[in-house]
Amino acid sequence: MLDTSPQSASSGGLVLPGQSTAVFTTARAGFSDALNDFIGRHPNKPEQPVEFPHKTHYAKKIACTEYCHEAVVSGPVAGLPSVRTCMVCHNAIATDRPRIKQITAMRDRGEDFVWRRVFNYTPQAHVKFNHAPHIRAKVNCTTCHGPIHEGTVAQRNVDMNMGFCVNCHNERKAPVDCLTCHF
Amino acid sequence: MDRRSFIKLTAVSGTTAALASCGNPEHQLIRFVPDEDIVPGQAVWKPSVCPLCPSACGLTVRVMGAEADVVRNGKAGVVQILAAKKLEGNPEHPVNHGGLCARGQAAIQVTYHPDRIAQPLKRTGNRGVGSYEAITWDAAIAEVVAKLNEIAASGQAGSLAFFGRSGSSYRNALIGEFLARFGAPAPMSYDLFGDDVLRRANAVSFGFAQLPTFDFAQSRYVLNFGSDFLGTWNAPVSQSRAYGDMRQGRRGVRGHFVHVDSRLSQTGASADEWVPIRPGTEGVLALGIAHVVIRDKVRPAVADRATAAIAGWKDGLPDYAPERVEEMTGVKANRVERLAREFAGGPSVLPQVRTQPGVAVIGGAALAHTNGLFNALAINALNALVGSVGVPGGLAFTPQLDILAAAKMTGRPTPAASLRQWAADALSSASSVQALLVDGVNPVFTAPRAWKLRDALAKVPFIVSFGSFLDETSVMADLILPDHSFLESFTGAVPESGSAMAVVSAAGPVMKPLHQTRATIDVLLDVGRQLEKPMELPWQTFEEMLTASFAALPAMTEGSDAWTDAQEKGGWWGEIPAAVRLKPDTASPVRLKADTTSVVSGLSRTQPEFDGDAAQYPFHFLPYPSNQFLDGSTAHLPWLQEMPDPLTSAMWSSWVEINPATAAKLGIAQGDVVDVTSAHGTVQTAAFLSPGIAPDVLAMPAGQGHTTFTRYASGRGANPVDLLAPVTEESTGAVAWAATRVKIARVGDGDGRLILFAGEFREHQEHGR
Repeated sequence: MLDTSPQSASSGGLVLPGQSTAVFTTARAGFSDALNDFIGRHPNKPEQPVEFPHKTHYAKKIACTEYCHEAVVSGPVAGLPSVRTCMVCHNAIATDRPRIKQITAMRDRGEDFVWRRVFNYTPQAHVKFNHAPHIRAKVNCTTCHGPIHEGTVAQRNVDMNMGFCVNCHNERKAPVDCLTCHF
Repeated sequence: MDRRSFIKLTAVSGTTAALASCGNPEHQLIRFVPDEDIVPGQAVWKPSVCPLCPSACGLTVRVMGAEADVVRNGKAGVVQILAAKKLEGNPEHPVNHGGLCARGQAAIQVTYHPDRIAQPLKRTGNRGVGSYEAITWDAAIAEVVAKLNEIAASGQAGSLAFFGRSGSSYRNALIGEFLARFGAPAPMSYDLFGDDVLRRANAVSFGFAQLPTFDFAQSRYVLNFGSDFLGTWNAPVSQSRAYGDMRQGRRGVRGHFVHVDSRLSQTGASADEWVPIRPGTEGVLALGIAHVVIRDKVRPAVADRATAAIAGWKDGLPDYAPERVEEMTGVKANRVERLAREFAGGPSVLPQVRTQPGVAVIGGAALAHTNGLFNALAINALNALVGSVGVPGGLAFTPQLDILAAAKMTGRPTPAASLRQWAADALSSASSVQALLVDGVNPVFTAPRAWKLRDALAKVPFIVSFGSFLDETSVMADLILPDHSFLESFTGAVPESGSAMAVVSAAGPVMKPLHQTRATIDVLLDVGRQLEKPMELPWQTFEEMLTASFAALPAMTEGSDAWTDAQEKGGWWGEIPAAVRLKPDTASPVRLKADTTSVVSGLSRTQPEFDGDAAQYPFHFLPYPSNQFLDGSTAHLPWLQEMPDPLTSAMWSSWVEINPATAAKLGIAQGDVVDVTSAHGTVQTAAFLSPGIAPDVLAMPAGQGHTTFTRYASGRGANPVDLLAPVTEESTGAVAWAATRVKIARVGDGDGRLILFAGEFREHQEHGR
């Protein structure tokens, strides 16, 4: 047998002050999130730490890619804004609103949002999606994400199955080779 | 575990966890605001310098957003950090040209090691037990300052000792300056497999006390005496790349490679021809080859200092006729003649070497005999004879930056005693050793047991370690002030070899420190400021020192400066201004001049001497730096533990290599447990039957056998150093680690301690299950 176990009896098994004894790293917001993720259950409209009103911001002509999801133009994931991103504007704007006060208080405590994921592929699909080429091809955000700019909290109202992707790829003469998405 | 049981186990543990959490309010994750701007999903590449050996290869580090568990204001949570994810070779770096060895790849585990020391510690139990309590940085530094004040006040500043790392680096330069200003001797650096003998020989032969750089890429014939230049010796990444070019990089020319050694090493296994030789007689073979070259006038001899140092040279080396050489080395006379003609080149030999002489290399065990200096000088002389020094395809010396001049350092500490002498002094009743600082090195593991280094440490009243791990040396420390990992701090080193042009490898931190650690240099500068008699060093931080010293170098790109360039590219390379270039006769790192008396005494030892009676201990013992762990300093990295040895495929274990014929005579089978005994100790390990070893030689890789070195290395395998006789090469004091004789005895059947990745053991297991 391969014996590669730690030598707990010898001094190699020492735990010194300040060293972590943790085996697992926190990867989900809580146990129910982890369980839902494990069994592949994703709510269409998960509860978010703040009720972010997309339509208000869209009405002020703040583009999705400008501040909050800026990584979308350059990389695979769009990114979710941190408290700091909000405070770029809200240090001065609408500081008297209750939600902004809530965010300011979080910032002062040094805490950040624990956003919950809305759009996702099941791991079994083995899909690797990269936002940046879609932005370069001038695909509108709403094509895949639905009319998010008309609502408040983000919700999944488009069923992103393979047919959905392939239809659009065919229409736009984008590649439909398997390895385009499944690699 | 198979897939099915994994799924079952998941189901069971999942249910258990769900039941256990019933009735408890769910513990919600807290996410803290990150300190840095992180673009999600996108990597940046930052330069760094590999810390694991003195070749100082350049790295590029893939840095990306990651989540770290942290505690802030008493609350546990996660925060996004920029973290190093992967190390690769820096393509622009003149030493490694984008290559990186397996050890370098595994270096990232230094940073994320679960047993890394995360904060300052103070000893609570007995020394060597490893019980420590947390202490704040301020309190820890105050203790060091108080102790140094006490030493200075009592007028015993000279009794402060420092175990430092080897090689030329800004770190070592600043440590030297610190010690000089305090009044203490220079740091001691001890390397079991260090090449001080070759440095000394090169200083005598060529005026450079440094390891040579070989232009293998343009060589046509390489005659290698014992060095493992493709695995562990000198600058292996640079040499491997050049070797590839030598064999396959030129149209119609495939360089020829002959390996002379008593063991077929990883490097030897790549050779066209293996010349087994009696241990320690490499120099004799070299002079035998020189004899034939002179006698047959194969190539007009080149007059040189190196040849002048060999007795009998002017008369054509009459003592080294091929027949005599055969008697001494065991290499047949006609083979000596053939090797000589091939090596020197000429019309009647291998077509590829007609136009250009070969280059001879010496390293490893050939230097580690009592006559190591003789061997090295003989091979230097051979290179000088055929004109392979300073020419394409030959050997040369990398121009060296004088860091002390570049940093305008004024202090010159008094030379340090040898480690052996220091240990003897510390153990003597008149010992005056007051304090010891240890910079992450582990000489207790690698020094011959007869030096009693551990006992010497036990007598030192105050020991501070700056290491990141608890090992055999740092477990003796009273205070541990952990350094940042190399990825978290500024680094700067001058590679001794591996590049034709001058190189300084340097870089800034690629990520923020994961733990409550501090850069050792910054701690020393802080201590220097707080002393009763402050040191008044001109820099507040290591970064300031680097910035100031790089001002002495010209910029590599127009409109920039050398330090900005270095931080972008991972170093500086080019033509060193004369003012800050090390002069050949005072070359780093040992700074010595050719000392005629010691050379003569070194040369009088043409024959090796061995410790142990040949009748009682019939085998030569040949420890060698392991491909995974070198001398043991990387045994804590699990990737290297699980990396199969290239020749035996063994992993997570130790073994002793024995010739199959010898083993059959002694009734030893593959994997049997054996006792290997010298006059100085016994180690128990597994036998590995290797046809690539002389019948009277036993070889054993170093690196395993740690008692205290993290969960992965502690209590695993055996350490060949336990057998070593305290025999040294006279002129340098370097350990002659190949000069011990041993015997071997079978203890019992294999007990699974030898783990092979491939081979009969694994097949056995798989068929029998």
